[in-house]
Amino acid sequence: MENHVPSFYEDLKGKGVSRRDFLKFCTTMAAFLGLEASGVTQIVKAFESKPRLPVIWFHFQECTCCSESFIRASHPIVADIVLNKISLDYQETLMAASGVQAEEAYKAVMQKYPGEYIVMVEGSIPTENEAYCCIGGRSALQILEEAVKNCKAVVAWGNCASAGCVQAASPNPTGAKPVHKVISGKPVINVQGCPPIADVMAGVVVHLLTFDRIPQLDGLGRPKAFYSRRVHDTCYRRANFDAGLFVESFDDDGAKRGYCLYKMGCKGPVTYNSCGIIKWNDGVSYPIQSGHPCIGCSEEGFWDNGPFYQHLPEVAGFGIETTADKVGLGLGIATAVGIAGHAIVTNVRKHKEITNEPEEGSKVETK
Amino acid sequence: MRNRSVPLREVHVWEMPVRVYHWINALCITTLCITGYIIGDPPALMKGTEASFNYWFGTVRFIHFISAFLFFFNFIFRTYWGFVGNEFSRWYNFIPLKKSQWQEMGDVIKVDILQLTNKKIDSIGHNSLASFIYFLTFLIFLLQCLTGFGMYSAMSSSFLPKVFAWIVPFLGGDMHVRQLHHILMWGFILFAMIHVYLVFYHDYIERRGVTSSMIGGWKFIEEDVIERHDQNEEAETKKK
Amino acid sequence: MAERIVIDPITRIEGHLRVEIEVTNGKITDAFSAGTMVRGIETILKGRDPRDAWAFVGRVCGVCTSTHSLTSVRTVENALGISVPPNAELIRNLMANALYIHDHVVHFYQLHALDWVDVVSALKANPAEASRIAQSISAWPKSSVGYFTDIQKKFKNFVDSGQLGIFANGYWGHKAYKLPPEVNLIAVAHYLEALEWQKELVKVHTVFGGKNPHPNYLVGGVPCSINIEEANAVNAERLAFVGKLFEDAKTFVDQVYIPDLVAIAGFYKSDWGAIGGGLTNYLAFGDFPSNGYNNPESFKMPRGAILGRDLSHILEVKADDPEQIQEYINNSWYEYSKGDKTGLHPWEGETKFNYTGPKPPYEHLDFSQKYSWVKTPRWKGNPMEVGPLSRMLVGYASGKPEFKEVVDSTLKALDVPVAALFSTLGRTAARGLETKLVCGWALEFYQQLLTNIKNGDTRTQNNVKWDPESWPKQAKGIGMVEAPRGALSHFIVIEDKKIANYQLVVPTTWNASPRDIKGQRSAYEESLIGTPIEDAKNPLEVLRTIHSFDPCLACAVH
Ligand code: HEM
Ligand code: HEM
Ligand code: NFV
Ligand code: SF4
Ligand code: SF4
Ligand code: F3S
Ligand SMILES: [Mg+2]
Repeated sequence: MENHVPSFYEDLKGKGVSRRDFLKFCTTMAAFLGLEASGVTQIVKAFESKPRLPVIWFHFQECTCCSESFIRASHPIVADIVLNKISLDYQETLMAASGVQAEEAYKAVMQKYPGEYIVMVEGSIPTENEAYCCIGGRSALQILEEAVKNCKAVVAWGNCASAGCVQAASPNPTGAKPVHKVISGKPVINVQGCPPIADVMAGVVVHLLTFDRIPQLDGLGRPKAFYSRRVHDTCYRRANFDAGLFVESFDDDGAKRGYCLYKMGCKGPVTYNSCGIIKWNDGVSYPIQSGHPCIGCSEEGFWDNGPFYQHLPEVAGFGIETTADKVGLGLGIATAVGIAGHAIVTNVRKHKEITNEPEEGSKVETK
Repeated sequence: MRNRSVPLREVHVWEMPVRVYHWINALCITTLCITGYIIGDPPALMKGTEASFNYWFGTVRFIHFISAFLFFFNFIFRTYWGFVGNEFSRWYNFIPLKKSQWQEMGDVIKVDILQLTNKKIDSIGHNSLASFIYFLTFLIFLLQCLTGFGMYSAMSSSFLPKVFAWIVPFLGGDMHVRQLHHILMWGFILFAMIHVYLVFYHDYIERRGVTSSMIGGWKFIEEDVIERHDQNEEAETKKK
Repeated sequence: MAERIVIDPITRIEGHLRVEIEVTNGKITDAFSAGTMVRGIETILKGRDPRDAWAFVGRVCGVCTSTHSLTSVRTVENALGISVPPNAELIRNLMANALYIHDHVVHFYQLHALDWVDVVSALKANPAEASRIAQSISAWPKSSVGYFTDIQKKFKNFVDSGQLGIFANGYWGHKAYKLPPEVNLIAVAHYLEALEWQKELVKVHTVFGGKNPHPNYLVGGVPCSINIEEANAVNAERLAFVGKLFEDAKTFVDQVYIPDLVAIAGFYKSDWGAIGGGLTNYLAFGDFPSNGYNNPESFKMPRGAILGRDLSHILEVKADDPEQIQEYINNSWYEYSKGDKTGLHPWEGETKFNYTGPKPPYEHLDFSQKYSWVKTPRWKGNPMEVGPLSRMLVGYASGKPEFKEVVDSTLKALDVPVAALFSTLGRTAARGLETKLVCGWALEFYQQLLTNIKNGDTRTQNNVKWDPESWPKQAKGIGMVEAPRGALSHFIVIEDKKIANYQLVVPTTWNASPRDIKGQRSAYEESLIGTPIEDAKNPLEVLRTIHSFDPCLACAVH
C-alpha cells in the first residue's frame, strides 16, 4: 500500500477527530444538503473511502471575500474539514509558497491528477483587455483555459465568478465576464452570493465529495439545495409582509418592531438564497434580521437593479428615482390630455356630422 | 359625410360568449391593476400592531392571484373562440395580413385620429386599426400571463404555474420579470383609457350603438355598408 | 552583476501583486512593485445613487470588509451635512474595532507567520519543551504537553499524506528561519487556533450588519434598530453576545497574539529590527471618534503626519486641501486629460485606463515606462507610509499616554531602541500593539452604548437628509477612515442627486504605488532596498518585508 492516499476520514482520524464528531459532521452536512437519513450513510461511506480531492483555487477579478467567507464555515469541525478534506494545493490567500514555487504547485496538480481535480474560481475574467488581470505574467483567461482543460468540474464562487458581480456592473469597464461565459465543455457550479454563505460553500464541497457528481442546478446554474427558495419565502418577517406591516423609514417604530422591509426596497421577493434558513456566520443573523433590506446579492446583475432602497429598479434613461410608476403616470396624464384634446377637436372638426340630426320625425329604417 | 337618414339594419356582431368574455376581462383587468398597483407600492394602512392579527396585504395578493387565474382562462377561452365564433370574432380580423386591412388602418388614422378627412369607414365588427391594437393587447395579455405565472411559479407548487418556471431564468432573473410585469400594467391602463374613450367617441360620431353592442350584441349598420360587405364576401369565396 | 528576480504572484496577501527586485552581491539594489489587476469601480460608481455607494465600494475588498463602506457613508454624510446619532457612531466604532482585531490576527497567523515560522521544523520539536515555553509566556490554557503532542501528531499525519495542500512548496529549511522547533510548534498550534477563532469575532458584524463578509451600512446611521423589548431588534441578548465576543477577543489577543509576537520578535530583533524601514514619512488620518466624527480631537487614534522620522513635529493633515493630496499616474496604466505628468486632487480625479504594458504572457515588465495599475498618491509631494506603524508613531509622538505605554513597555521587554520601530519587525509589532489598544477601546465603546440605551437613547438613524429631494444641486464630500492597513479616504462629487465623481485613495495605494514624477519610490519599493537576500531562488526576505505591510491589492487598485 505504498501509494495509499489516506481517505478523508483516515485523515481526520489522524488529526484527532473522534468518530462521534465525524458522524455529527456527516449528519449536519446531510441536513444542509436536504438529504434523508439514508443520505448520512452515503456521506459517511464516501468520506471513509475517498482520497482527498485535489483543488486549485484561482483568484481573478475579485475582492477575496469569497475566501474570507469560506474560512468562516461555522460548524466547528467544518473549519477543520474544509482545510483538510480537500487538498487545497493552490490558494493564493493561504498558501505558503509564492512566485515560481506557487505556480509549480498548481502545475503539479494538473500533471498528477488529470481529470480528477476541481478548479475553483473566485472572481471574474476581464475580456476587454486580457492584461486587466495578470498573474505571473499570464492573463486570467490564459490561466483558466489551461487549468480547466483536464479538470473534473469547475466551482464558480460568488457573484464574481457566477455573474461578474460589481466589476461587471454598467458600464463594465474591463469587460468582466463570469466563468461560464468564457469556458465551455466543463460543468460549472455557480455558488452565488456576494459572498456565498460559508456553510453553503462547505455544503457544495461536501456534495462533490460525497456523491462524486454535480449537484442539481437551477436555470442559472446554482445548486438547487441552496438556491431554490426566495429569501422572501423563508423570511421570518414574512408574516408582517402578509399583514401589510411595513417599515416606512429606517429606525422608525415599525423598524424597531421588526416589520417587513419591502418598502425600503427589499429584494427578498426576487432573490434566491438560503439567508433565511441557514443564515450567516453560524446562524447569527442575516441582512434582513439586522434591519437592512436584502439587496439581492445572489442574483445576476443585481448591481444594476438599483437604487437599492427602491422596490423596483430605475427605468434607464429617465434620471434618478424614475420608476416605472413615474413613467406610467406621466404617460397616463399625457394620454388623458390627448383624449381631452381629441374630444375638443372632434367637436370642432366633426361638428357638421354631429349636428347632422335626422329631421324631427323622419324615419330611420331598420330591418 | 354620412347621411343620417339612410336605412340601417341591426347586425348581431358580438355573440354572447364574446360579450361575457369582454366583461369578465374588463373586470379582471381592473382588479389586477388595482391589486397589482397596491402590491407594487403598498400604502401604510397599519401601524403599531402585530402581524398575527392581520392579513390585508396577503388578501390583496390573493385577490390578484385569483383574478389572474380567471383572466388567464378567460383569455384562453377567447383565443379558442377566435377559431369557432362568428366572422367578427375570428382571429384573422386581428392579424393584418391583407392589404385591405392596412389600407383601412391608414383611413382610420386619417379619419378618426388625425381627423383630416371625413371619409366613411365601412367595417362592421372592429375596424382594422382597432383590431390590430387588440391584437397587440392580446400579446400584452400573453406576456403579462407569462411574467405573472413565471413569478408565481416560485410561490406555488401546483402544476400550471410550474409550467411557466422557465420564464424567470429566460428573462434573466425575477427582478427583470417583475419590472416587466409592472411596466405592462401601465400598458393595460393606457389601453383602457384610450379604448373606453374611443368606444364613446365612435358612438358619438357614428351612432351605430357601439357601446351597447358589447352588452346586447347588436350594432346598427347602414344597408349600403352591409351590401358592400356581402359582395366582398362573395367575391372572396368565388376566388377560392 | 545585478540579478533580476520576479516574484509573482506574491501570495498570502489580498490580490495580485508582482514584485521585481535587482540583487547585487546578496543585497537588493532596486525594487519595483506592480498591481496587476484592475476593475474600475470608480468608473462604475458614476451616475449612481450616493446612498448605494457603500455597497459598491464595500466590494472593493472582502478582507478589510466594511472599511470602505464606513468610509463611503462618512463621505456622503460629509457632502450632505448629515451627522449620525451617537449610537450609530458607537456601533460603527464597534464594527471597525472588530475588523481591526480580526484582520490583524488573521494577518499575523494566516498571512505573515509562515515568513518567520518553519512549520516543517515543528515536527522535530519536543512537545514537553514547547509546553514549558508556552506556559512561561502566557496563561493561555491550551498549553499542555498532551495538547502539543496531539498537534504535532496531527501535523505529522498531514505531512505524511503527501498532499501538503497550502503548505506545499514552502520555503521550509531556509537559512533565514531562526526559531527553535518548539516555538515553531507553538506557532503551528496557534495558526490552527486562530483559524478556528477568527470566525467568531466577525459575528459582531453579523449582529449589527447582518453578515460578514460585507456587512450592511446605511447613510445617516446604521441599519439595525435597538429595542430591548423586541426579539427582532438589537436587544439585551444581542448586546450581551457582542460584549462576550469582545471579551473573548481581548483574551485571545492578550494571551495568544501578543505573547507570540513578542516571542518571535525576540528571535529576529537583531537583524529584522533594522531591515525594511524604508520611507521616513508617516501619515495617519486618525479614527475611532469618542465624541462625534466631526470632532477629530475626540479620536482615539490621532491624526497627523511625520516627515523625516522627526517625532517631535506632528504636521496637520487636511484632505480637502488640493495642495496636500494628489494622485499621479506617470507610472500607472491610466491617462489624465491634462497630461500624465500632472497630479490631481481626488475631487478632480480621473480613472481612465491606458494599458501600455506588454501583452500577456510576459516575462518582465518594462520599468522605464508605466508599470502598475496602482496610482501614486503624494502628501505635499512626499511619499508617505501608512498603516499601523504610522498610527503608532503619530500616537506616540503626540504623547498620548496609552500609546506611550504600550510602545515603551514593548521596547523595554524586547530591549531595543525606538529606532527599531522603523523596520520590518517594527511594522509587524506596531500592528500587534494597536490590536491591544483596540481591544480596550472596543470594550469602552461597548459600555458607552449600554449606558446610552439605559438612559433611553435608542436612535440609530438620522433620516433628515434621506430623501434626495432635500439635497443641494451640487455637493462635495470627503470621508476619512483609518483602515486596518492605513489611512483611507474617499472623495465624492454629487450633482443632480447622482454621483458625478467618486475617487478612492486607499492605504495600499499609498504603500504599493509605483514611483512618482520625481522618481521617489513609495513604501514597498523603498523598504526593500538594502535587504540581504540569502538565496535568490527562494526570496523569503522579500516576503517578510512586503507582508509586514499586509498588502491588499484589490484595495490599492479598486
Ligand atoms: C392585467 C393583468 C395584470 C396586471 C395589470 C398586473 C399587475 C401587477 C403589478 C403592478 C404587480 C406588482 C409588481 C411589483 O411592483 O412588484 C403584480 C405582481 C404580481 N402579479 Fe400581476 N398583474 C397582472 C396579471 C397577472 C397574472 C396573469 C399573474 C399570474 C399569476 C400575475 C401574477 C403576479 C404575481 C405573482 C405578482 C407578484 C406578487 C408578489 O410577489 O407579491 N399577475 N402584478
Ligand atoms: C365602459 C367600458 C367599456 C365598453 C363600453 C367597452 C366596449 C367595447 C366594445 C364596443 C368593443 C368592440 C369594439 C369595436 O367594435 O371596435 C370592445 C372590445 C374590446 N374591449 Fe372593451 N369596453 C369597455 C371597457 C373595456 C376594458 C376596461 C377593457 C380592458 C382593458 C376592454 C377590453 C376590450 C377588448 C380586449 C376588446 C376586444 C374584444 C374582442 O373582440 O375580443 N374593454 N369593448
Ligand atoms: N489597503 C487596504 Fe484595505 C484595508 N485595510 C482598505 O481601505 O484591505 Ni483590503
Ligand atoms: S462575489 Fe462579492 S464577495 Fe465574492 S469576490 Fe466577488 S465581490 Fe467579493
Ligand atoms: S423583509 Fe423582505 S424578504 Fe422579508 S418578508 Fe419583507 S419583503 Fe420579504
Ligand atoms: S443581500 Fe444577499 S446575503 Fe442574503 S438577504 Fe439578500 S441574498
Ligand atoms: Mg483611486
